[in-house]
Amino acid sequence: MSDVYVDTVSRLSRVPGVRGAILVEAAGGVPVTAEVDASISPRAVAALAAALFQRTASVSTTAGLGRLRRFQLETAGGHVLMAGAGELILVVLVDDDGQLGMVRLETQRAAESLI
Amino acid sequence: MKPSEMPDLMEALRDPVHEFIHDSRARIVLVVNRSGKVLAQHGFTSSYEVMNVASLAAAAHASSQALAELLNTRRWNHLHHAGKQRNMFLALLDTPLEPLILVVIYDEQSSLGLVELFFDRLSASVAALPQLREVRRSADPLGFERDLEAGLDRVFTPDAEAP
Repeated sequence: MSDVYVDTVSRLSRVPGVRGAILVEAAGGVPVTAEVDASISPRAVAALAAALFQRTASVSTTAGLGRLRRFQLETAGGHVLMAGAGELILVVLVDDDGQLGMVRLETQRAAESLI
Repeated sequence: MKPSEMPDLMEALRDPVHEFIHDSRARIVLVVNRSGKVLAQHGFTSSYEVMNVASLAAAAHASSQALAELLNTRRWNHLHHAGKQRNMFLALLDTPLEPLILVVIYDEQSSLGLVELFFDRLSASVAALPQLREVRRSADPLGFERDLEAGLDRVFTPDAEAP
């Protein structure tokens, strides 16, 4: 596996407040590499996140707003950030008290580095 | 499996298969046993299509199983054929009685990840069906055509149509 992918996910998962990160092959909805807690299934998160990202991307293009770049979910326990990176999607799970601004910035940088 | 036992099993399979179709956004789903009996189907428009796909799925399963044995692998978890517009996922549904063959055709509305994810749930639901603990094992490969036609008659009767 490409060291770039592993390093990117590893670096992101070390940002304070990040619970885990998964790099997903967008078309297949399957994980490329992941660093998440053992209680989280990367396969399940990858499949569902990719489906959600692509649906949302369709909304964006249908509405004439262009390509979807980032997508953020607010949940009871934290946030899910997704960023498109060519044929990949970077999925980052963030704790509720995580430094969201920092994580967003790092996620975007990481996604851009993968394109 | 006796023909008289098929309606119960087909009825029992209907909900888990429909749930799988809904969740995975698959276009076409077919469940057959190893001798080609059609136990559930969704998305086909003619019995001719079902017959061909059921036959080919059973053959693909048999040949892939032989390949697995040649390569010292007990079996494959699933087969995936990627196409430009449509993809096929072929896997075994393990049950206490006998494995069933699941054929899923999906397009860009779904993904391999989604199909795999919800396949796991379908597999667990099907394995827990009491009908698959009670019916007798089918062991008559020569009855393939007869069983296939009997299955097709049942899945294409109006009462068996998907809601």
